[in-house]
Amino acid sequence: MSDTLLEVREVSKTFTLGSRKTLKAVENVSFGVEQNSICVLLGPSGCGKSTVLRMIAGLETATEGRVALGGKAVTGPGQDRGMVFQAYTSFDWLSVRKNVEFGMKVNNIDAAKRRERTNHFLNLVGLSKFADAYPSQLSGGMRQRVAIARTLANDPEVLLMDEPFGALDAETRWLMQELMIDVAEKTNTTMVIVTHDLEEAIFLADKIIFLSSHPGRVKEEIIPAFKAGKRIADKEHIIRMNGYSDLEEKLMRLMREEGHREN
Amino acid sequence: MTNSKPPRDFFSVRSHVGRVQGIISAIGIWAIFFGVWIVATSLGWVNELLVPSPQKVLTATHDLFVNRGFSSDVLVSVGRVFISFAMACTVAIPLGVAMGTFPSIEAIFAPFVSAWRYLPAPSFIPILLMWFGTGEAPKLALLFIGVIFFLITLVMDHTKNVRTELIETALTLGASRYVIVLKVVFPAAFPDIVTAMRQMMAMAWTYLVIAEIVASTTGIGAMMMRARRFLKTDEILSGIIVIGVLGLLTDVLFRVLHRQLFPYIEVKH
Repeated sequence: MSDTLLEVREVSKTFTLGSRKTLKAVENVSFGVEQNSICVLLGPSGCGKSTVLRMIAGLETATEGRVALGGKAVTGPGQDRGMVFQAYTSFDWLSVRKNVEFGMKVNNIDAAKRRERTNHFLNLVGLSKFADAYPSQLSGGMRQRVAIARTLANDPEVLLMDEPFGALDAETRWLMQELMIDVAEKTNTTMVIVTHDLEEAIFLADKIIFLSSHPGRVKEEIIPAFKAGKRIADKEHIIRMNGYSDLEEKLMRLMREEGHREN
Repeated sequence: MTNSKPPRDFFSVRSHVGRVQGIISAIGIWAIFFGVWIVATSLGWVNELLVPSPQKVLTATHDLFVNRGFSSDVLVSVGRVFISFAMACTVAIPLGVAMGTFPSIEAIFAPFVSAWRYLPAPSFIPILLMWFGTGEAPKLALLFIGVIFFLITLVMDHTKNVRTELIETALTLGASRYVIVLKVVFPAAFPDIVTAMRQMMAMAWTYLVIAEIVASTTGIGAMMMRARRFLKTDEILSGIIVIGVLGLLTDVLFRVLHRQLFPYIEVKH
């Protein structure tokens, strides 16, 4: 767990709005993500956490600083950094199976291997029975599972998720969070997850990067010590653990401070 | 949708119309239309020379098809519509998709296309006749001009409506630009493009008739102009009905095509 896979170093992002105005969304953000770990970017809305994630994905370029994956600088989007979005991104014209195969096909993985990996990951996210359905026939939670399976099947080095469960109802969200723990345990995938949901952050994170708002800076790096380096498989269990509510209270306070600063 | 439901108020706001009510309504309005027409002609409310009875129009239609070789006129017209429409699509769809995908391409063509869109296609008829004479070429050219600029704009807009997340997802899966255009953007926009084609087809029929009425010796429009010379109002009305039926058939064809091509689009209830 100690090797740093992904490194974000002194990254800033300034957006140009119109001809004269600029907006500093992210300022001097640095953190590392260890191999096989789950890192959660947490912060109030407008703290630039999605922008940080998009710079890791290569969908935005950093104005200053650099992002490196396995020591190699990130210059644009690529197969090694798969991303799951909040909005549904299923390719509606393809069956669930073809959706999951899409990335592998693009990367010239042979048909037999594609099929095998597709079956494996559909099984992992519990969608084997729906392989031949169209995404439009599935519920929101199932669609997100298709997106997760599609990204994982493409064998990325890191899985990036931008508020992936934000559009789902509460109980589906819990199930998806538990699924992600299960996936992380079974596949050893390194993940960077953006959220503003405190519970979600505590439940999923091996490490939380808390960002302050306007512009986004790293306010605090928090390791949920009460989990003692383990991942907890179900949500009812974790909220009864010693230290859970202390951490939640601390994060709540941080959130509130940042929220106030805005107004 | 069953009959056991309590009777609904006819003027229920935005409530679903049942199947039976739908059919009765659709047939009813046509029955009223023909009823008024029949009554008006048989009671002599209108000049029969100007407004022939439906029976007379029907007989004339039959006569046109059986004894006067009208089907070849119809085929000529249908051929003109489909050939010119196919030519317009061949240019408009790739160009519209390219414009909707690459802002650099849009920057070149959008100012050009939008200017042409405001020029009424029939205003080109005199010059088209001078350039191409009276053969097939001016008719095809008119239909082409009438359809293509609108089609390009519609295809471009539908392509632009493809959500950025879909493109970004493909990028983070490692897709190249080529794959993104052909395997993501185009298939995502395709259902809307077919709908746009269906809408533009109606426009193609409109320009066809204009072309055939103005300068043609063949086709449905030409037949109608011939009939006018001999005061055959029944044949003129036959022509109108045939054009209407053909338009309706093309529309149905496109709906069926849409359903066949895009089985994944569920009918929203």
